[in-house]
Amino acid sequence: MQTWDDRQPIYQQLADLLAAQLLDGDPPEGAAMPSVRALAGRHVLNPLTVNRALQALGEASLLESRRGLGLYVVPGARDKLKASERERFLDTEWPRLRDRLKRLGIGPEQLRWEELT
Amino acid sequence: MDPNLLVEARSLGVSYGAKRALDGVSFTIPRGRVVGLLGHNGAGKTTLMKALVGLVKPAQGDFAVLGLDPLRDRVALLEQACYIPDVAILPRWARVNDLIGLMSGLHPRFSAERARALLRRTSVDPADKVKTLSKGMVVQAHLALVAAIDARLMILDEPTLGLDVLSRKAFYEMLIDEWCDGERSVLVSTHQVEEIETLLSDVLMLNEGRLVLSIGLEDMDRRFYALAHDPAVAEQVAAAHPLLRYRVGPGSARAAALFDGSPPASVQALGQRVRPSLVDLFIALTRRPELDRTQF
Repeated sequence: MQTWDDRQPIYQQLADLLAAQLLDGDPPEGAAMPSVRALAGRHVLNPLTVNRALQALGEASLLESRRGLGLYVVPGARDKLKASERERFLDTEWPRLRDRLKRLGIGPEQLRWEELT
Repeated sequence: MDPNLLVEARSLGVSYGAKRALDGVSFTIPRGRVVGLLGHNGAGKTTLMKALVGLVKPAQGDFAVLGLDPLRDRVALLEQACYIPDVAILPRWARVNDLIGLMSGLHPRFSAERARALLRRTSVDPADKVKTLSKGMVVQAHLALVAAIDARLMILDEPTLGLDVLSRKAFYEMLIDEWCDGERSVLVSTHQVEEIETLLSDVLMLNEGRLVLSIGLEDMDRRFYALAHDPAVAEQVAAAHPLLRYRVGPGSARAAALFDGSPPASVQALGQRVRPSLVDLFIALTRRPELDRTQF
């Protein structure tokens, strides 16, 4: 079964997991999110926890509620997610990676870039 | 009585001869909860569940289940509360279809259509005989039959005992996805604490017939403080009298300590606060090291 780490609340970890899936287009923009009960079943989580995760995605304007129909992925959600992921990489992950490259004496010419372009 | 409370127990006591199986147990179960009942073998879990459905007569205390007295109003109670005991079996000679027919005749709130819909989620065919089904499939069939009852409370005593991990997951998936609707509540006992921890909204912990903890999981995270720390500061952490000290994760170098309430700031500074795990809390509060963590 799914394992969750003990450093963050589970609803936050589920929100991160769902956001990563949205970034991969699952479900695509404009499509309906699975129901709270379906998600709770799939991840063996209490429905209240799932609600909180969906609420967090709603507050990040990735999901919108359509009256009587449930939650839908907002058009533009992937671009929004991509932008915030890029920001996180450039602000926090890249400086750490750069320091590590420097410490190991690895220069740009030693890294393979061909898959990038 | 409060209509939001499906179960209200006050100072419940049950004795088997001279042995006290339950002693002064008080708790409530509101609507829409998934409550885990934890305890070592012999702690009183099965006795408590039996008392809730009128199979055991309490010696002391009073309690109401769905506003009814389980002993006096047992038939009315069982229309709205379902129970799968730990010794539950389905007759081996019967076909699943026969059981659906039997339930339709026995239970006024059972829906044959719903049972067939639930079975379609599983690999069980209604034409199958029980004796041809695997253990996991029997339990799935049993849950499908019981979940097809439009009840308000489901009581499950060790429902996944002896099942492999996929069957256990399928069982809880069906329970959450198909039966829980935010109004109905479930009381479930299990030894696979780590697996269902995230499923629960509340936990009841029994130790030798006494309730040692009755708490919502969110309150548990607030009240108990788990501190992950470097093993080098273990002595300083121990000096603050934690409930329990343990290692985080298998083979991990990280040590941790569990406190009831926040430890002093000087101790907090020795590590990072992490989410306390239910298993660790269970070990700490029942003080028996026999619980075999390798089984998870």
